[in-house]
Amino acid sequence: MPKYAMTIDLSRCMGCRACMVACKVENNTPEGQFWMYVFRLEEGEFPETRLTFLPRPCQHCDNAPCVKVCPVGARYKREDGLVLTDFQRCIGCRYCEVACPYGVNYFHWQSPKKGQYLKWGDDAEVRERAEREVPPWHNPDHDKRYGEERRLTAGAVHYKGVMGKCTFCVHRVEKGLEPACVANCPVRVFEFGDLEDPNSSVSHKLREATRFRLLEDVGTEPRVYYLNGQPPTGEHRQLDAVKGGKGE
Amino acid sequence: MSVQSRSYRDIGVGRWGPLSFLSTAVLAAVVVVGAVAYSRQFIHGEIVTGLRDWGTAGGAPWGLYISFVVYFIGVSFAGISIAALVRLLRITALEPVTRMAELLTIVSLVLGAFSVLADLGQPLRGITNLFRYARPQSPFFGTFSLVMAGYLFASLVYFYLAGRRDAYLMAQQPSRLQAFYRWWAAGYRDSAAERARHERTSFLLAVAILPLLVTAHSTLGLVFGLMGGRPGWFSALQAPGFVVLAGVSGLGHIAVLAALVRWFIPEARERIGVPTFRLLGIFTMVLGMVYLYFTLIEVLTAGYAGHAQEQELVRLLLLGTYAPYFWGGIVALALAVGLGLAQGLRGRWSIGAVVAMGILVNIAAIAKRLIIVTPSLTHGSLLPYEDGVYVPTWVEVAIIIGLMSLGALVILVFSKLFPVVPLDSEPTS
Repeated sequence: MPKYAMTIDLSRCMGCRACMVACKVENNTPEGQFWMYVFRLEEGEFPETRLTFLPRPCQHCDNAPCVKVCPVGARYKREDGLVLTDFQRCIGCRYCEVACPYGVNYFHWQSPKKGQYLKWGDDAEVRERAEREVPPWHNPDHDKRYGEERRLTAGAVHYKGVMGKCTFCVHRVEKGLEPACVANCPVRVFEFGDLEDPNSSVSHKLREATRFRLLEDVGTEPRVYYLNGQPPTGEHRQLDAVKGGKGE
Repeated sequence: MSVQSRSYRDIGVGRWGPLSFLSTAVLAAVVVVGAVAYSRQFIHGEIVTGLRDWGTAGGAPWGLYISFVVYFIGVSFAGISIAALVRLLRITALEPVTRMAELLTIVSLVLGAFSVLADLGQPLRGITNLFRYARPQSPFFGTFSLVMAGYLFASLVYFYLAGRRDAYLMAQQPSRLQAFYRWWAAGYRDSAAERARHERTSFLLAVAILPLLVTAHSTLGLVFGLMGGRPGWFSALQAPGFVVLAGVSGLGHIAVLAALVRWFIPEARERIGVPTFRLLGIFTMVLGMVYLYFTLIEVLTAGYAGHAQEQELVRLLLLGTYAPYFWGGIVALALAVGLGLAQGLRGRWSIGAVVAMGILVNIAAIAKRLIIVTPSLTHGSLLPYEDGVYVPTWVEVAIIIGLMSLGALVILVFSKLFPVVPLDSEPTS
């Protein structure tokens, strides 16, 4: 059984947020929801200011507070380390969301009005131009069941009133692909792989770089390692906070 | 009024005056408004509420609903605690309010459960999954599964047993509800042996429910107190604090309810007098003092030794956005305690003053419940997110007021069907 982890090399990140876009397109998250988010942070007083960037996926904690508090076991941790939400069991109490100190959970407040995929089939102009080659607007991989448990866990918005969050792109990982954010980063900030395998890219990275984990003193034991950088402090101010819609 | 001439009708059963009709109609109308509001939420999702994700979306995922889950379940403290006081400590002055206190427990537990359902994104699934996949490791288990399956069930059994004697007495008189009373009495004939057996069973049940009471209110506190990554919540004082504030609001509620019963049913006035209110006042006052002390220690600990985010939250409570709620609650509670102290020192208790205490402590309890839930979500982030905002919408407010009216409606209608004050020891006909 692999032990999945992610490394994020902060010395490489330039805050372009391509990972956020890749995540939205891959997972079809509703407007205003960011399963991957990149903080653009500023510290110091002008002219002595410094910019840093901090990508924030779900930390897939080993001691995940969200898993502990879920009253029905919809939020669970797989043996390979992925922390996932069973959309068919979730009752929408949002306890995972308030328990998580990282703010990675996004509730489906309503059925989405605006998906990230084009609704090709609905658009007359697109239909006309594409003739019969009408691709599905919904990624069929999201409807498959994954892992030994065969639970419905991939992608966003299967139902209104349930919780969603970063899945490490379980539907891609199960095919041997990298999560969308990892695959789409132009400067290879992210590595994703098996900690058990000493030759995996994450194992290599962890051997050679200084590292920290986010909010380490809360005791959540994240599976996401930040390399070559410093954790955010109270001195950091957020620039360009992305708000977007409110879950529409 | 001589003992012989008294009929059980005098205890308010079956007597519908214009005031009762008007109250019923108004309450029912408010319940309907609440139901319409809920239908909006059920159809469109919780987008119709003021709740939003915390973090990048800058909202609070828990708000009015969870505040009132805590408040309603807190009020339920009253019934069983009073029953236990009467049974275990033999405080007879509280006996006339036992029935309405137990009724209040049952009603408020059900309202608490409804508030949980109002909060759920998938309420229908919640009803099945909370039991089917119950995880005792989750503190939420205590607030719903344990409360519903254990606390409410035990309270219903207690309520039923404690009412059998009155049901038997009521069944002796011809009325339209005779069959209902006979069903409730279920063969009970008020013989000496039966009375002794009931006394013993109720005693044991009261003893058994007491730990359930502490557990239920503690787990409610643990829902917040165990969240290590949430400044303002993570505290060992949450669970005992919830138990004590539950006691304050529950006992205060009983004082208000007893006064309403006196107002609606003049015959109850001789049964529920100053001695009863005096005891309610003393208990409310003592628990109120304990809670003020808890608050002081809590603020002192977080403000003196807490990390940066913890101190920021204390500042917000004392001086910032949430100061009106914090100080409003403190002032209301302090006023109630002061009223109690003044009466205690003078050695004279008045019903009006105890009712005022009851209203004040419930204002304090609601204020406290609002600031326990929201500030830690809008301003309690350990990562550099923007601060959040939460303003409830009309849907949330209508649902909560609708639930309150539903509770009042059930109590009002029940008081017309069954003696809300236990009948005298010596039956008459």
